Amino acid sequence: MGKSIVITSGKGGVGKTTTTANLGAALALMGKKVCLVDLDIGLRNLDVILGLDNRIIYDIVDVAKGRAKLPQALIKDKRFEDKLFLLPAAQNTDKSALEPTEAKAIVDELRSEFDYVLLDCPAGIEQGFANAVAGADEAIVVSTPEISAVRDADRVVGLLEQQSLDEPPMLIINRIKKKMVNDGQMMDVDEITRHLSIKLIGIVFDDDNVIGFSNKGEPVILDEKSEASKGYRNIARRLEGETVPLMTLKEQERGGFFHKMGSWFRRK
Amino acid sequence: MQAAVLKGYKDGYELILRDNADFDKILVELKDLFRKLQLDTIEEEKQVSFTVNSGNRLLDAKQKQKIEKLVGNYQRFSIHKFVSDVIRTEDALEFMEEHTVHLNTDTIRNGQVKTITGDVLFLGNVHKGGILQATGSIFVLGSVEGVLHAGYRDNVIAVIAGNFKEAQQIRISDLVDIIETDKQEKNVVAYVNDLHAVSYTTLSELKTLRPKIFTQVGGF
Repeated sequence: MGKSIVITSGKGGVGKTTTTANLGAALALMGKKVCLVDLDIGLRNLDVILGLDNRIIYDIVDVAKGRAKLPQALIKDKRFEDKLFLLPAAQNTDKSALEPTEAKAIVDELRSEFDYVLLDCPAGIEQGFANAVAGADEAIVVSTPEISAVRDADRVVGLLEQQSLDEPPMLIINRIKKKMVNDGQMMDVDEITRHLSIKLIGIVFDDDNVIGFSNKGEPVILDEKSEASKGYRNIARRLEGETVPLMTLKEQERGGFFHKMGSWFRRK
Repeated sequence: MQAAVLKGYKDGYELILRDNADFDKILVELKDLFRKLQLDTIEEEKQVSFTVNSGNRLLDAKQKQKIEKLVGNYQRFSIHKFVSDVIRTEDALEFMEEHTVHLNTDTIRNGQVKTITGDVLFLGNVHKGGILQATGSIFVLGSVEGVLHAGYRDNVIAVIAGNFKEAQQIRISDLVDIIETDKQEKNVVAYVNDLHAVSYTTLSELKTLRPKIFTQVGGF
């Protein structure tokens, strides 16, 4: 019996869907059987980011309304050796097409088959949020180091705490710009974590590769060198119970041996 | 043993209804008592009013009505008050609730509203966008970045004391004051002054301002 984790944020555009896709992919690479559920009905994106949009035949609303069986609607991601599946959202209707009880029933069914069921929550705190939270055992709140995102995250944590989940919500701080944090222009990780007073499960640095890879329909996690990829891999390992140190905010010095040698002579 | 006893004091008459007697018996005796009283006293004597004391018994509305109706038959007699030595547990708890300083350690997040009956000693956090409201006063030891509402609805006696300089707003009763940054001293008291406006003073002034807060300590 696996566990279901809702990935939510309140505010839009902080990287819920990207986080869902990459976290799912990272867990799948670790050999876990993962199902991603897109609950952003009417504005589905998760399939696009994973490059699976052309393979959708049935969606979650079809399953809920009995027009299709759950296994028929699941899309297998071939890159991950039968470990990663997607249950896509419907695009021709809206959030009210699904009831929380229906969502919960589907998630419960998935949970018996998979190690992880990741629920991609839509922005906002209305019906879509209620649907996503209904079947969740745990929650991950994604925020960026911006005051508006943190404020919304605070609201969402408040709502999640009333839901009596198995564990208190966990926090991912996404899109951290090292330079801006080091210059003191951006809220730092400790400040946000202390303010929200929930457990930090990982940080992800701002990385141009994320957009590039998403546009190609590939999770950035497949690029082992990128910073964001490391961030997501670390989060996946922490979810599995490993102790992984937080990535450092220090700006990495680039270049090889000669670049380093040069730096001995460079002015500090 | 008499079920209804009439006692006279300096400041009036008291009708004591024995709490172990049957209520119907009390009614019979009362009827008797008033009939005698009517005969015994001189016609021109002025109006007499009674306090009805039901001892360890609570009279319900119907029983009170019955007694009032009985007394109403006599023009010169009336009842001005029902008293009893006991109150309902519900009322007692409500009274307790209203007169206790509650200790609270909640984290009140953006969008959440916490309402407390009575005074509150607040040790938790109010995040920006959160509201802590109390029917009584609020004493702040925790950190407050949201809204504090003391005397929630209509209690102008309530105060807010402690460090609330990071708060967004202070509300007392029906008044609202927006806290501008850098304006507030660290430890102050907010209260409603005689002109019905939110005003601020030092903690040392509180004793002259609201002496009752200091006398209630120790009791409830």
